[in-house]
Formats: sequence, C-alpha cells, structure tokens
Amino acid sequence: MIELSEMKEPAPVNSIFIGGGTPTYLPPLILKRLLQAINEWLPLGSAGEFSVEATPESVSDETIDVLADHGVNRVSLGVQSFQKESLVQLDRIHGPQHVIPALERVRRRIANVSLDLIFGVPDQSLADWERDLENAISLAPEHISTYGLTYEKGTPMWKRREKGLIMAVPEEAELDMYLASIDRLSNSDYQQYEISNFAKRDRRCRHNEVYWANDAYFGFGVGAARYVQGKRELNCRNTADYIKRIMDGREATTQSEALNAEDSARETLAIQLRRTDGIDRLQFLERTGFAYDGLVKSRPNVLLAEQLIADDGRRVSLTRRGYCVADAIVSKLAFG
Amino acid sequence: MPAPSLIRNFSIIAHIDHGKSTLADQFLLQTGTITRRDFRDQLLDDMDLERERGITIQMHPVTIYHKHTDGQTYELNLIDTPGHVDFSYEVSRSLAACEGAILLVDAFQGVQAQTVANAFLALENNLAIVPVLNKIDIATARPDAVMAEMETALGIKPEQCLRASGKTGLGVPDVLGAIIERIPAPPGDPIAPLKALIYNCHFDTYKGVVVYIRVMEGSVKLGSKIKLMRGNQEFSVIEIGQFRPGMVPCQELTTGQVGYFTAQIKIIQDVHIGDTVTDLVNPATTPLPGYKEPQPMVYSGLFPTDNEDFEDLREALGKLRLNDSSFTFIPEVSDGLGFGFRCGFLGMLHREIIGQRLERDCDLDLVHTAPNVTYQILKTDGTVIVVNSPADVPDGGQVDEFREPIVRISFLVPSKHIGDIMSLAAERRGEYIRTEYLSPERAIIVYDLPLADMIFDMYDKLKSFTHGYGTMDYELKEFRPADLVRLDVLVHHNRVDALSVIVHRSQADRRGRSLIAKLRKEIGRHMFEVALQAAIGSRVIARETIAAKKKDVTAKCYGGDITRKRKLWAKQAAGKKRMKQVGQVEIPQEAFLAVLQSDD
Repeated sequence: MIELSEMKEPAPVNSIFIGGGTPTYLPPLILKRLLQAINEWLPLGSAGEFSVEATPESVSDETIDVLADHGVNRVSLGVQSFQKESLVQLDRIHGPQHVIPALERVRRRIANVSLDLIFGVPDQSLADWERDLENAISLAPEHISTYGLTYEKGTPMWKRREKGLIMAVPEEAELDMYLASIDRLSNSDYQQYEISNFAKRDRRCRHNEVYWANDAYFGFGVGAARYVQGKRELNCRNTADYIKRIMDGREATTQSEALNAEDSARETLAIQLRRTDGIDRLQFLERTGFAYDGLVKSRPNVLLAEQLIADDGRRVSLTRRGYCVADAIVSKLAFG
Repeated sequence: MPAPSLIRNFSIIAHIDHGKSTLADQFLLQTGTITRRDFRDQLLDDMDLERERGITIQMHPVTIYHKHTDGQTYELNLIDTPGHVDFSYEVSRSLAACEGAILLVDAFQGVQAQTVANAFLALENNLAIVPVLNKIDIATARPDAVMAEMETALGIKPEQCLRASGKTGLGVPDVLGAIIERIPAPPGDPIAPLKALIYNCHFDTYKGVVVYIRVMEGSVKLGSKIKLMRGNQEFSVIEIGQFRPGMVPCQELTTGQVGYFTAQIKIIQDVHIGDTVTDLVNPATTPLPGYKEPQPMVYSGLFPTDNEDFEDLREALGKLRLNDSSFTFIPEVSDGLGFGFRCGFLGMLHREIIGQRLERDCDLDLVHTAPNVTYQILKTDGTVIVVNSPADVPDGGQVDEFREPIVRISFLVPSKHIGDIMSLAAERRGEYIRTEYLSPERAIIVYDLPLADMIFDMYDKLKSFTHGYGTMDYELKEFRPADLVRLDVLVHHNRVDALSVIVHRSQADRRGRSLIAKLRKEIGRHMFEVALQAAIGSRVIARETIAAKKKDVTAKCYGGDITRKRKLWAKQAAGKKRMKQVGQVEIPQEAFLAVLQSDD
C-alpha cells in the first residue's frame, strides 16, 4: 500500500490481478484496506478485469463480499486437483471436499471464475488426470489453467525429489497428460489461447493477455515484476527486506533493465509465440519496429518442415506438437 | 675471445623425468652463472606449459664458465634438448651443434626407450658421450643394475659412468670436469671464412628474428655484413651475444662459440633452421650440411566454432609458427565445419600443446577434428597423391593402391609385461621384429606397425599396461600398401566430412558401430529425430537414431518469469554457438573428439 501510494498520481488501468501468494488469507479488514488503496491509485476502466487469486479453503462469504464490493470481478481458484493423494503430494491444505462449496461461495457474488489444475504430480496416472479434467469441466468455470508440475529449487517438493522420496512422472506420461488437457478441453467449449490456458468464448484472462502480448504493466509487493516504459523491474524477493526498504522510504526495486530495441523485439517474439494467436507479422512490425522474418532468418524452415510451427503467410503459431517443445522452439526462433 | 681449446659444447640427452632440467640448474648454480637469489626451478624451461607439464619442448641454450682443476677457465655451452618422443627432430638439431653429450639416466628407473634412441642419435653424430647416473641420492637407486643395463643396451662400460644428484648437487663438479676432459674441443679454423650453423631462432617484437648460431669456422662481429647462404639474403649484424642465460651482448663470436645475433630480420620465414651464415665479403664456398626439414607425422583440422574467428585463428597460428617451425597449417574448407586449417604436427603431444596454446593464449574456441596420418594413394590413372585429410581421399573407383606410413617402434618394458605389449601390438596390426633383453627383468621389443594405429593412444596404453614403467620410441620406416577405406559419418543424411576417418577394411564395421554409438551419446536431442549413419561409399554399415525431444515447455510464463526465461533462452543460444551447426543438427565439440577415443 505504501509502495502504491508512492506513485505520483493515480494511473488508470484496464486490468488488475492480485496473486502470487494468497490474498484471501488476509483478514477482511486488511484486505479491504488493500483493495481501497488499489482502487485509489489504479482506477479500473469501466469494462476492466479485476482478478484475485484464492485457494478453496481460504474463501469465506465475508472475504468474497469484500472482494465483490471493491470491484473484483474475477476469481482464480487454485484447485490444483480433485484427488486427495495429489493434493497431499502438492502440500495443499485443502481437500477435494472444499472445492465445490468454495466455488459456490464465489459464484454467489462473482460470476467469472477460473480454476487452476496441476498435472504431472508424482504417482498421478493419465486416468487420474483425465478425471480431474472431467471434474473441472463439469463445474463449468469460465476459464481453466492446466500447469505441468515444476520442481522449483528449494521448495519442499524439490527437496523430496532430491532425497529420492518422490519420483517425477516420466516425460512421456506427462506429455500424454498435457495432450489430454488440450483434447478434453477443446472438445468442451474451452478454447486454448496459450500453452497452459483455456477459456470459454470471450473469457480469456485479459491480464494474462497483457503479459503475452508483451505489453506494459505495473507491479507492487514482494518480488513483484513490472514493465513500464520499456524497463523491466523486479522488487526484492525477501519479505523482511522488502518491508525494511519500504519503511525506510527506499525503493523496493532490486533489478532493473532496459532492453535495446532488438532484444526487446526478440523477447516479444518469444513471449507472443506462446499464444495460440502466435505472431501477427504486421502487428509485430508495428509493435517492435522489427520484421519477424528479419529476426528469425532461415531458422523457421526446419520447424515448418517438422510441422512444429504453422505459417499462413500472416501469422506464425505453434502446432499441437509445437506446444510440447515450445521452449526449444522459442529459444531457437528468437535467439538462434 | 676464448681459444677453441677452452670451449666445450654439449647437450644433455635423457628420458623425460630423468632430471635433465634439474641437473642443468645445478650447472648454473655451481658455476655462479646465476645466484641462488635469482634462481627458480627449471630455469631453462621458460614456457608456462613446459613448467606446468614438466617437459622441455624448445631448446634453451646457456653459456657458463667453469674454472677447471688445470687452472684454466673454460667456456661451456649447454644446448638443451626436449625429452618427449614427439620431439626427436629437435634433439637432432641440438646434437649437430655439439661435440659431446651427457647421457643422463635415472639411477632407479634405468635405461628407457628414448635413452637408447637418443644415445644412438648422438653416436651417429660422432658425439663423445659422458654417461651420468642421476638421482643417486634416492633410497631406491640401484646404480649397479642400471649400469649393467647401460652396458647391455649401449655398450657403455660401468667405469665410465659418473654419479650425480641434480637435486642436491652431489657429483656435479665431477660432471663438469668430465665435460672438459672427455668432450673434444670444437674443431674449425678461426681464421677461415665464417661458417655458422643456425640451429634455432625465435621472434622478438623489438629486435626481429633472434638467430641462434654455433660458429663452426671463422668469426662473426658486431656490425659484420653477413649472408644467409640458402636464400642468399644479406644483412648487417645489429646485436651479437651469448645466453647467460638471458641474452647478453658481446662484440664477437668466434670458432666454437654458441650465441645469437639479430640483424633486423623482420620475417621469420627468411631464416631457415640448418642454414649457414657466412661473411658477405669473404664468403665460404660450401654451406654446412644442415638438417632435414621436420616432417609432420600427424594432421588434424582446427576450426573456429564461430566462423567469424577464422582470421583470428590464422593470425594466432602465424604467431605460434614464429617460434615453432615444425608445425604446418594450410586453409581447409569443410562442408560441415566451414573454414579452418589443416595442421600438421610432430606428434600427438605436439598437437595437444599447440591446441592448448591457441585456446588459452589466444582465447579461441576451436573444434579439433580427429588426427590422421599422411597417406599416399596410387590412382588408377597412375598418379600418386599425398593425402593429409580423409576428405581428400578420392572415390573408391579411382584408388588403385592405398599406402600408409609404417613406423618401427621400440618398447622398453619390464619383462613381465611383454605379453601385454605383444597382444597390444598384434591388435594394432603390428609386425613383430625382435626382442632384446637388457637384463632378465627388462626387454626391448621391436615392431613395425602402422603409424595410424600408434598415434591415437599407444603411449597411454603402454603406460597403463606397465604402470608407467614402459617407454617407447619410434621412427618412420616406409609407406606400405594396405586395404584401407574411408569411413564416412552421415548426420541427418548429411555427410560430415570432419567426422570421416580412414580405417583398415577389417576394422571398418567395428569402428563404424562404435563411432556411431559414441556420437549418439554426444549429440543432444533435437526437435526432430536425428539419424546417424556410418558408411563406406554408399554402403551403410551402422546406424542409430536419436529420438526427437518430446517435451520441453515451461508451464508458466507470467510477469516475473519473462526476464528469467529470456535470460535462459539467450544463454541456451550462446551455448549453441559453441556447437557446430551441420545442416539442422547442432554437434558439440565432444562429438568430434569421440572419433578419437579408442573402442573400449
């Protein structure tokens, strides 16, 4: 809130997203103060999207009321799985039984809901994952994100894997799960619009689309990232350090870099390519000042021949097989 | 100027590790050429790599003065020699500038293959030999047994042998005395026209080429007008001096003396090792016999991983060649690797050292292709071509006879390892020549075998079979017809010429299979399936497939992830730059080395 109030003047925005951590853990009174500050400094346009992340066990009627009363119109619910075993593996506090009541509570006030699911959890089978997908579809959320599990260094899961207590699912199995997500969701009204994201018609997360178009955004709080006026900045990741900096009246930013035009264009290429919309040659040129074909040279040839990317002359996008090796493709196309 | 009768010129010949440099250090210390304060170990090995590896590659001359028991002060010129088997050419250069040699043998390790080879080289040059047992102070020294070996192998009588310790300095005055008494004074007429042998040179940024000479007849003075006989070039002597051990100028070098001169010679290629320097006004009629040009034994391609470094590589090679005329390089174009150079080396160690110098001193990332030897091919049209690169082998139909170099190789090994060495040699298509016993415990085994089968790892194998006690030496014997073929490697259906090897037909299948298997491990997975094949002509003899990368995708890419991902991608792209892109496939440097490794 202090970091917000250090903006010189309020900045109107089209979307707001509170997440990374669980804001719904905040006591209603404090949550209220946070939302008030956001509304004061970042007034949302009339058709704006205001998303908040929540976990099933942290959603109370009171919290939802506070959110709705302050303009929040979208909730992203971290369901992760409908199966007890997977939730335990993932160190989640909630159980499968918490999901439906939480969803009902949200929907009482906020119509636009997204569910997050994780696949590739140790001991999870393809059938397990397909059941999770069916469960999610049956609840008819407006948006579903499916993330392959990543073992972030230092997390409890990472440590358990290092110690050999758990084993990552085999690559082939994880790939099957990913393809199952694409198939199941596409057959049920959900349109894929990015590697891991699916939405019903007109229900794409607008905030995400800002990231993936590589457009500008603010960021506040511990470890927050912002991209304002061509400069990427990152706040310090340590909470105690963050608080100290803010209380001392110092900046929370610890990393800052301004990319040159070409690097910025390559980055835009890399990020935009993760979308199903891919790269629109004309828009890309207007946006970055660089022609797509000039940046990638002859590198797409092999990818086209292998049907990893598709090119209709105007747009270049990943194919179904391409999504599975998106990082390798992006790295090759954008950076050589 | 000392009279020739007060000059002695000598080398030290020894097997690697037998303490040559340490004994040389003692000469400098005990004659007061250098004070203990300025002393550092192995003073004459001044290249970093030499110090690090404990080997001498280049010759380092030094002039010392010693007051002998007869009351006279003698000028002793030591011309050091390299100890490794690859550098026997340099040994012969040193020997030609001397009248005698100290034959240094480790009192524990005894006679080694190179001791024998170099001792014979000295005898062929009519040098007086002063045998010295070194490391006599160590507890495991076995002087009597070693002297018996010397008598058997070289005909040296035990009573001729001196005993010394380079480490403690024990016996060193006796060795100095023996140099004066046993090695003849240099012959030659001091008033005859100048004849000086160029035995080495190096390039100095300020002085130009520094020419190392041994004056055979006449004398050369500061300001003398001189002529290099081979190229008929004329110069004026700007500086003349001796190595003590740094370059110390003097006025004149006369018959028998060893030293250097500079004459503003800008181009090192103008100076030929083995050439004769004479006086311009009063020239000698015939030059000295000189040396044979060194023949590279091993060739390999050097390619910059980044093609833009090609000119830098050319410049770096040119600089190295300034001080090492024994390696050669000519530009080469490879379909897969782009522009590079085919370089010729005296041996594998030489190749390794040049490679390290380029990468370390010149900061170049290089791909070294597998080494190969020189072949001769008699074509069906009757012409004979010399082939230094597998890529140059003509198609099968044009080859009438494929000839490969054969070396005569002597192994000196503990008797109990004779069996191991014989089976190793047989495996490498060796032809048995003879066995000689130096003692019941040690023997020399002689084989003729293809150089190609020796260069890769024979030395390492010998060392490992004999736990370090075996040594070897070799000399080129002849070219002999053999049933050889070029084995090609196709990566994703493109022939990668830099991976081609020349092999004996009987070994082709095995080599092909193991090569492809190794490549499969070294080449990473791509976004598509990569086919690897080994082929002789159009016949595929081995194949493997590298499965396509199936999954490589980050699930989340939101605000804070973007910078991290971009950095990772940029880093991956930089990593790929160190690989060679052949067609659509990225081949790491290790893959090119895979060709080198032996089959097990």
